[in-house]
Amino acid sequence: MKEKLIEIVGKENFSDNAEILESFSKDQSFAKSMKPWFVVKPANSVQVQGLVKWANETRTPLIPVSSGAPHFKGDTVPSVPQSVIVDLSGMNKIINISRQQRMAIVEPGVTYGQLQAALAKEGLTLSTSLAPRANKSVLTSVLEMEPRLNCIHQFNYTEPLRCCEVTWGDGNQLFTGEAGNGPKDLQKQLEAEKFQVQSNGPNMMDLLRMVIQAQGSMGIVTWVSLKCELLPSIKRMYLVPAKKSVDLEDFVYKVIKVRFSDKLYVMNKAYLANLLGENSEKIVKLKKDLPNWVAAVGISGDILLPELKVRSQEKDIEDFAKECGVHFLSKVPGATGEEVLTKSINPSDEKYWKQTYKGSFQDIFFITTLDKTSIFIEAMYELAIEEGYPTEDIGVYIQPQHMGTSVHLEFNLPYNPEDSKEVNKAKELYTKASKKMSQLGGYYARPYDIWANIQLNKDAKSYNILKQLKNIFDPNDIMNTGKLTLK
Amino acid sequence: MALSREIYQALEDIVGKRNISEDIGVCETYRSIPSQSSAHYGPSEHWTPLPQAVIMPGSTEEVQNIIRICNKYGIEFKASTTFWATMGYIGSDYAIQLDMRRMKSVEIDVKNMTAIVEPFAVAATVQAEAMKVGLNLNIPGVGCSSSTLASTAGWAGFGPASIFMGASPENLLSAEWVLPNGEVLRTGSLGSGDGWFCGEGPGPSTRGILRGIFGPAGSMGVCTKIAVRLHPWPGPADFPTRGTIPAYKADMGDNFKCYTLCFPDWQSWARSVQYFHESDVLYIGHRQFTMFGRNLKAAMLRIITDPDKQLCDLPTLLEDEEIKKQNESMKLDYQIVIAGMTERDMEYKEKAVDEILAQTGGWKNEMMLEKDMHDFALLYLLRLGHKNLNYVMCGAYEGTFGLSGNVWKTIQVVEDAVKIKRDWEINYDHIAATGGDSAMGGTSALGGGGWTGWEFFTNFDAYDKESVRGTCKFIDGNQEFQTKHGFGPDFCRWNADVRHMNGYNYTQEEHDEIFKNAPQPLVYAYQYKIREVVNPNNLCGSYLRTLTPSKAK
Repeated sequence: MKEKLIEIVGKENFSDNAEILESFSKDQSFAKSMKPWFVVKPANSVQVQGLVKWANETRTPLIPVSSGAPHFKGDTVPSVPQSVIVDLSGMNKIINISRQQRMAIVEPGVTYGQLQAALAKEGLTLSTSLAPRANKSVLTSVLEMEPRLNCIHQFNYTEPLRCCEVTWGDGNQLFTGEAGNGPKDLQKQLEAEKFQVQSNGPNMMDLLRMVIQAQGSMGIVTWVSLKCELLPSIKRMYLVPAKKSVDLEDFVYKVIKVRFSDKLYVMNKAYLANLLGENSEKIVKLKKDLPNWVAAVGISGDILLPELKVRSQEKDIEDFAKECGVHFLSKVPGATGEEVLTKSINPSDEKYWKQTYKGSFQDIFFITTLDKTSIFIEAMYELAIEEGYPTEDIGVYIQPQHMGTSVHLEFNLPYNPEDSKEVNKAKELYTKASKKMSQLGGYYARPYDIWANIQLNKDAKSYNILKQLKNIFDPNDIMNTGKLTLK
Repeated sequence: MALSREIYQALEDIVGKRNISEDIGVCETYRSIPSQSSAHYGPSEHWTPLPQAVIMPGSTEEVQNIIRICNKYGIEFKASTTFWATMGYIGSDYAIQLDMRRMKSVEIDVKNMTAIVEPFAVAATVQAEAMKVGLNLNIPGVGCSSSTLASTAGWAGFGPASIFMGASPENLLSAEWVLPNGEVLRTGSLGSGDGWFCGEGPGPSTRGILRGIFGPAGSMGVCTKIAVRLHPWPGPADFPTRGTIPAYKADMGDNFKCYTLCFPDWQSWARSVQYFHESDVLYIGHRQFTMFGRNLKAAMLRIITDPDKQLCDLPTLLEDEEIKKQNESMKLDYQIVIAGMTERDMEYKEKAVDEILAQTGGWKNEMMLEKDMHDFALLYLLRLGHKNLNYVMCGAYEGTFGLSGNVWKTIQVVEDAVKIKRDWEINYDHIAATGGDSAMGGTSALGGGGWTGWEFFTNFDAYDKESVRGTCKFIDGNQEFQTKHGFGPDFCRWNADVRHMNGYNYTQEEHDEIFKNAPQPLVYAYQYKIREVVNPNNLCGSYLRTLTPSKAK
């Protein structure tokens, strides 16, 4: 086994070091730990394909991992013994940036910091998820559909992801979307002025949609093309405070409906304090100072009359705020718009910001519509009280997505990993609340960890079809075996 | 082979006597002559096969039961609603046609900007309902009289407003889908009963096998209800129309403006399009009226906006110096609509358009600023209700070339394509001589811009065999041009690999011969494998492009 793997990736890219294996045996979630067999670091898609073929011959599970540690969702922890971690972080080239087409192509190991710096030189930027981890893979972030701060430009649910190269679990490799209609040679496509812009297809099915939200259970993606935006020449952030989340609903709906703003999201004070606070003490103070709820509204202008555009939207959104009985401000007690903007769009410090307050956390997130969010929030507080979890610590983040047709609703539950009582309370609340949210209509589109069981049990028909699709693309079930299955 | 009495009775038991027919007079009307109406495999002299029966289900349950019977007896079936294109019709002799017109409901979730529609909710109806609550939808090029569900789940689905609203694949949320094996799949959040708001997941999306860049054109069962995303409509609750057919006009107020933007060369043209792709200025961006041809468009606009004028006035109008001047002015043009969400927004968008024109050396065509002309063009683009005008020249048309994709690549060859068509117009009389350039289509086939979708309207006479055959030869030549420049199939040949010219299905062996040579044959091998899962009896015709996996290199 070992020899063959070394033959594929080279000795220096193979590891059976106990410490390294241990580091991949668990993450920061409550997922059950299990040590992998080996860790390999392929350098290119040819080696990836070699690994998948080897895995099929030997019936060995592979777990693709692109972001650096720590991980938080359980998806990179082996579910079955003798799994091999395919660490893609070494494949970190930005393959192409086209200013004309506003497209970039990146390998799995490229981080937000790396990409945004390169894009900025070309006058571009990428719509980001909220303050991503410093070593977070852009490719994983978009494949796993982490919500974007700008729902207005999310024409497709999968934005800004467009095309990809995938090695399926059966060992076959192809390009998706527009790229799948050309030669399987990226360089030749670029030379022919084809820029992997159209995500749908390549033909009458969307093969990209077989790898999104899949936790690496269908195949291994080795590059993605991304739609970028112009780098703003003016960017501002305004804050709209409120006592209750429902007080912000009309305002948010109104702004989204007319397609103003370039960033829009809602947080409660615990979540915003975690985002802004540099240490526990500051977070505690911020929680006292900040309004209960804040909607953050970003406005930007780029190359086309930026001042006029920004001024016009500022005044209009201010008018909307008045109509909705809320205030549109450049700062609120405890935070300025500029601080919120800076923290939101830039990668986190090396220590992930969600760990600052208590050292660890557990998220619960799902999709619903904005008008239903208050039902879930109320239920979460009720459950927390029942479980003795401090309600003031529960962070809530509402991120409109896909042009506002739905929202990502996220609860953040910080806890001290050194305090077993706190750990148990958080775990108990996580388990019970996950089920409760589902009962109330929360949709786990990205069913990590225990959510797979909860969500897939609600929809037998989809599960059956998914199993059959998995059997097509990964007939020997070697890709992240045990994930996205009923237990 | 006629349906046995036993089978017919079983089908009648499902929908009731009133909703099924095998009357030859009825069944004959469910045949398509592919010499017109976007057959997308070129004009042909043949009709599609005669269905054994036509059946009109009224619910998802009825559709499911019909499909069960078809599976039991090996009967091909195809559902269609507004029957715009040949792809909606059956492709073999032992087949039945489902006509979905009984299912026509529209529900709108105003807050979350979503419409839940059944097959016979045509875009005009959905738009009328949406406008009442300040919303609108992407109406693809097929026009407002066609089914929103069909274009969203079943075919391409981009149109003039796609730059602002996205194309159909981008707007599709959850779907209720009767698979060809008779199972009902509800995609995304609908499957778990959580609502229609998300079409993806859980985990990988089964929606990925419902449609790709194209839908399967009825070859993967029947969608009975879908949710589509709606978009802002800052206008009145209905169109304030005036005028006489076909020259309806609408004064939409100060926050709607329609301009014909014109440019000195294709470079400036493309640069302006890129500016619009990079900004959020346009509500609609479309090269519309060149459909009448570069040399005729000003005169044709005068005719179709004046009920007293007829086609026979064309020669006279073409001699008019003012018409000549206007034609020259809008030689390289496209139409835009800007819609102000507020007064300030309108002010910004007006200035942004002027700024783009200043930076690219462009101008607004004067004739199209006349009040009546403006109001006509505005309503035309917002409603897309003038599909009849596609046929006005010679009774039939097809879209040819199809220089879609990267606009900067397109403009390098567009004048060569114009010359090919112009030479054909002059040297032969199979197609109408309209000026070579009849390229029309969206400034973007994707939400937010980035991909154009063009076709050269080519007008011919479907009842003249010489015209049909000559048009086919013209298209064959275009295909060589397309291939040489790396543009893929001619727009008119999109479906040449899914239905024979005689109207019948391809066999798998024939498909294998075609798709084994695709740039990435595995794409078609996976489509084959997926069809095996949901359509094991292969009962929906050959529009789904498949390759036997063992033949994929």
